[in-house]
Amino acid sequence: MNETSTPKAGRGAAALFALLVFVPVFFFSGQLAAREISRYYALAWALFAGLIGFAIFRTGRVSFYRRIFFSASALAFLVHFKFSLFSKMFEASCFKEAPFCHIAMAPYFLNYLYQQYLAFMNGDWRLWGPLTLGAAWLFITLAIGRGWCSWACFYGGIDDGLSRAVPKPLIKAGKWALRLRDLPAALLVFLLLASFAYMLPVYCLWLCPFKFTETFMDADAGVRRLQYALMLAAIGALLLGPLLTRRRIFCSYLCPFAAWQAFWGRFNPFRISVDPAKCSGCTVCVSACPMTAIKCAPGGKAEISAYCNLCGECLEACPGGGFRYTLLGLDLPAGGRLAAALTAQNFFVWSALTLGAVFSSLWAPAALRDLVKLMAG
Amino acid sequence: MPALFSEGFLLGLSTGFYCLASCLPLLAPYLLSEGRAAWKFNFYIFLQFTGGRFAAYMLFALLASLAGQAGQYALPAWVLPASMLACGLLMAGLAAFRVSGFKGPCLLDAAAGTAARRLPIVLGFVTGINVCPPFAAGLLRLMDLADILKGFSYFGGFFASTSLFIAPVLLGTPWLGTRANEIGRLTLLVAGLWYAALGLKGLV
Repeated sequence: MNETSTPKAGRGAAALFALLVFVPVFFFSGQLAAREISRYYALAWALFAGLIGFAIFRTGRVSFYRRIFFSASALAFLVHFKFSLFSKMFEASCFKEAPFCHIAMAPYFLNYLYQQYLAFMNGDWRLWGPLTLGAAWLFITLAIGRGWCSWACFYGGIDDGLSRAVPKPLIKAGKWALRLRDLPAALLVFLLLASFAYMLPVYCLWLCPFKFTETFMDADAGVRRLQYALMLAAIGALLLGPLLTRRRIFCSYLCPFAAWQAFWGRFNPFRISVDPAKCSGCTVCVSACPMTAIKCAPGGKAEISAYCNLCGECLEACPGGGFRYTLLGLDLPAGGRLAAALTAQNFFVWSALTLGAVFSSLWAPAALRDLVKLMAG
Repeated sequence: MPALFSEGFLLGLSTGFYCLASCLPLLAPYLLSEGRAAWKFNFYIFLQFTGGRFAAYMLFALLASLAGQAGQYALPAWVLPASMLACGLLMAGLAAFRVSGFKGPCLLDAAAGTAARRLPIVLGFVTGINVCPPFAAGLLRLMDLADILKGFSYFGGFFASTSLFIAPVLLGTPWLGTRANEIGRLTLLVAGLWYAALGLKGLV
C-alpha cells in the first residue's frame, strides 16, 4: 500500500466527517428500528458507520475500512434474513421481509414493464413497491452509481470480504479473466429476454446462490437436479472463487445487476481516474482490482473499464499514487482552507458510506438484536 | 382466400406479442453478436430469420392441412425438441468458436463462417415451429379447413402480421459496435446452452 498517495487528516476534521456520517444514519436508522426494536441497536449501527467514516478520513485508506463495513453489513444480512428462515432462534420482524432483491430486479425489467411482474414482492410492496423501488434505484444511481456494488449491496460484502481473506491467489487470472469479463452483461441480456419470453424468474430459478427455498424450483426431478447443480456452482463462485483467486468472482462474472449498474452508472459523476503520467505500467493495479475492471491498455498504461465500482482498492495498491476519485474525470477546484477536505474522494465516501449504512439499517440493527439475544440465551 | 389471409393476419396482430417474446431470445443475441453498424447488413440477417420462419409456417400449413384431410394430427413430438437441441448446440458452438478466438484449419474456419452466416435461417425455422398458443389456435383452424392452399393463405397472413412485431428489433442495431458484438457472442453462448438444455429435456 502506498501511504503517501493519500494524505492523512487531523483528528478534528476526521471527527467532523464521522459526525456527518453518524447523524443521518442514526436519524434514519432510528426511524426504521423504532418500529419494532430498541433505538440503541440503531445507535450502535450508526456509531459503527461513523467510526468507519472516521478511520477512512483519518488514514485515507478507503478500501480497507470500506471492506470492514461492507462485510459487516453483508454478514448482518445473512444473520437476520437468511438464518431466520431456518431457525426460530432469530425473531421474525418486519425487517425479515425482504422488500425486493435488486439482483433479480434487473433481469425482470421487461416483465415488469409488460405485466407489472416482479419475482419477489411482499404484501406491503405489491402496490407501491415497483414505483418506490424505481425511485430508490434512481436515487442510488444518481448518488453513488456503480459504487452500490462495493458499498451497499448486501450480497457483495460476502464476496468482497472473502476475496481478501487469503494473502495470495492460488489461481492466477489468465487471459480468460478479461475475455469473459462481459459475461454479466451477456447474462443480463439473456435473462431479460428469457424471463420475458417464459414469464418466469429465470435468474432466481437457475442461478441465484442465495435462495433458501424450493418454492420456485421446477416440478420435474431431473430439471430440479440441474437447478441445484447450477445453484451449487454459483455458491462455489461466491465462496470458493474469491478464496482461490482473490477476486470477486460472483460479482464480476455472474451478477446481472453488476452489469445493469455498470451501464447506468455512467450517469453518475463519480469516477476513479488514472493519471497516465504517474503510471509506470507495473500492472500492480490490474492484479489488485477485485472486480477485474482494470486492464493494461496498448500503450502500457492502466485503463479502467465501466465495471469499476469505486471500491478504492487501486488507490491503495498503486505504488505511484496514480489513481484518485474524480468528478467526471476532473478534480474539484482547490483553494481556501477547506480545499483538502472538499475533494471528490470525501464527497464520494460520505455519499456511499451514509447511503450504505442507512440502507443496511433495514437489517443490521435487527441482526445486532438477534445476536444479543442469542448470546443472552 | 383474401378472407383467410385477413383472418390469419388478425390472429397474428392480436397475439403477436407472444411471437416477439419467443423470437427475441433467439434473434437478439445473434444480431448483437454478428450485427454491424449498417442497416443493410442487419436487415439481411432479419430477412434470413424471417425466411426461416416463413418456411416453418408454410411447412406447418402443409402438415396441418394434410392432417386435417386425413382426419388426424400426427406431427412427431420429437421434432421441436430435436430442432431446439440442434439449434442450441449450433449457437453455443459458433459462439464458443468466436469467443475463444480459436484459429483452425482454413476449411474449418470457412465452414464455421458459412454456418454463422446461415444461422439466422435455422433460428427462424426453430421459432417458426415453436408452438405457442396463437400458433396452436391457427393450427386447429387449418385442420378444420383441411385445404393446403387455404392453409398457406391463412399462415401467410399470420406470418406477415407477427413479423411486424419482430421488425422493431432492428431499430437499435445501427449503433452496434465491437463491444456490443463481444457481449453478443457471450449472450449467444448462454442462449445456445439454454436452448440445448431445453431441447434435451424435451427429448429425454
